[in-house]
Amino acid sequence: MRHDRLVLILLWRELVAGLRATRRRDLAWIALGGGGLLAYAIADIVVALHAAGPKLRHDQLLWTLGLPITFAVLGCLAGNAMSRLCLSRAFAPFLKALPLASAERRRMAEVGAFALGLPLTLVFATAVGFACVVIGKPLAPAWGLGAATLFALSFGTAAFWRLRRPRLLVDAAASEATPVGRPWLRRLDRARPSWLSSWAWKLPAGHIRASWKLAAASLLLGVAAILGAWVSLAGRTAGPAAVAGLAGGILVFMLSLRCQPLGSPVLRTAPIGFTRVWLRLVRLPLQLSLAFFLLPAGAALAAEPSAWSVPVASGLWLLVLNGAYAVFGAYFLNAPFVAMLSFAGALAYAGYETLEYGRTVLIGLAALAFFLWHRTRQRYRNG
Amino acid sequence: MAEVLTVKELTAGYRGRIVVRGIDLSLHRGDMVGLLGANGSGKSTFIRAITGQIPLIGGSVAIDDIDLAAAPERAKAGFGLAIEPHELPAPLSGRQYIELVASIRGCAPNDLPSGDLLERLDLGRWIDRPIAEYSLGTRAKIAIVAALLGRPPLLIFDETLNGLDPVAAWEVKRVITALCASGRHAAIVSTHVVEAVPALCNRAVLMAEGSLSRSWDAAQLAEAGRAPGVFEESVMRALRMRAAA
Repeated sequence: MRHDRLVLILLWRELVAGLRATRRRDLAWIALGGGGLLAYAIADIVVALHAAGPKLRHDQLLWTLGLPITFAVLGCLAGNAMSRLCLSRAFAPFLKALPLASAERRRMAEVGAFALGLPLTLVFATAVGFACVVIGKPLAPAWGLGAATLFALSFGTAAFWRLRRPRLLVDAAASEATPVGRPWLRRLDRARPSWLSSWAWKLPAGHIRASWKLAAASLLLGVAAILGAWVSLAGRTAGPAAVAGLAGGILVFMLSLRCQPLGSPVLRTAPIGFTRVWLRLVRLPLQLSLAFFLLPAGAALAAEPSAWSVPVASGLWLLVLNGAYAVFGAYFLNAPFVAMLSFAGALAYAGYETLEYGRTVLIGLAALAFFLWHRTRQRYRNG
Repeated sequence: MAEVLTVKELTAGYRGRIVVRGIDLSLHRGDMVGLLGANGSGKSTFIRAITGQIPLIGGSVAIDDIDLAAAPERAKAGFGLAIEPHELPAPLSGRQYIELVASIRGCAPNDLPSGDLLERLDLGRWIDRPIAEYSLGTRAKIAIVAALLGRPPLLIFDETLNGLDPVAAWEVKRVITALCASGRHAAIVSTHVVEAVPALCNRAVLMAEGSLSRSWDAAQLAEAGRAPGVFEESVMRALRMRAAA
């Protein structure tokens, strides 16, 4: 078919255009800094794997359950992300007027997802095989092949599921009825600048639409809060509820923070500074996060009143983590998923290095957050 | 009269690539300047530079005597820019967008040059619907209304008037002309509709290859506008001379 490779061509052109638009100095920083960091991370992981080799080789639970589940989850995530990327290009607005049938566009997306999945699977197989060699696991190539098979299967299943969903093949927003009446978010969203959160959350005319995703997320978070509180109250210990409050609170904040208005000329040409807009965007997600935190924190306090410092410390950490994520969210303003991954990665890495170098690593994390905040502010002011 | 906009030796571009260079321009209250130029001549880059959307590589911009680089928030309070239609916040309704801009500018959402402007622009039936549902012309109307909110001293329209229907275009021109005629405001109207400039503006400048290649003062513009086609011919001649040079 003539158009089969169109999605790949579009993605390639976008990559080339992105590289050309990046200043050479920035490219050099990314290549040298990123390359150096990657080399250090690989070396660090190899050393850690080598040291833990004997223990890892004989961990039956890890090889029979932990790793297969991890490979499958990674495959699902990658398949979902790649097929979404390809679908968005195949159904790009500028292609709407072209005489391409939906089936043809879907086929273009399938070809694109397959072409992107193949090198990913190869990289995955090589990484797993290499890790097995490092820890001295017998039949390392077979493990690499098995991991790649599992990854490819879950990648293919997720991609197939995503590419077959008809909801993505039509403009869902256009087919929905226009909301009527006064939006109830009005009271919460009228601080200066008004309606900023409705805009950030892409609520049509400020109306919240019920969806299974919203219902499922609310249900899961509610159950988690109640479970955490119940475990604490039953065991008369503050720990579980405080941890549930902290983990759930940061999750609520990450899921609800959207910062794409920071990139809009509507705000950038208006007489309002970056900090004010940023704080305004953070405001409602922070309120939601603290609202979630209150139930488990209250349960923790009730379960063990003498350990009041545990929920207090948990609340303070929640504020710190929310603040740090708010910086990542603003920096990756158009890609909240990338912001979440980067933040989780930075936290995990800081946690890992803290074991080796102590809490001084946290200064590095704080410096990173400050640097990102400064760059985001500069971008808001100067484009 | 006090200068509303002072541009000195402006050089600007994208990622170190210079697009406009060495531009000097000053606008006084009452001025209504038509900004002309071919595609890619640098009109939009110039407007982005004077509205603080891209950094200046050289020179300075002052709005109402406030330096844009030194005090961006205060300087930005001095102009109203009609945002390009595709850059409007699509999920919000027209009314919410106006409330958002009004809350930023610290004025009432109905602080407009004319109390019935929304009706005159036929926005009444669209105002509570999401902007995503608007046509290009309706988006342009709401962008213009937002630019007029709070009656800032400098009004900037980057080809926004081009997408309007005849009635709305006439209404908007009437409002802008009245504001500039009051002597309290000035306007920059970037447009490709060359023949409309003598009737609408009292000054015009032509941009070519990133710099100002010619300008017309009020008398020259009035003279050129006396007979049909004279101003267009004069613009085309300037463009041809520039191309030949």
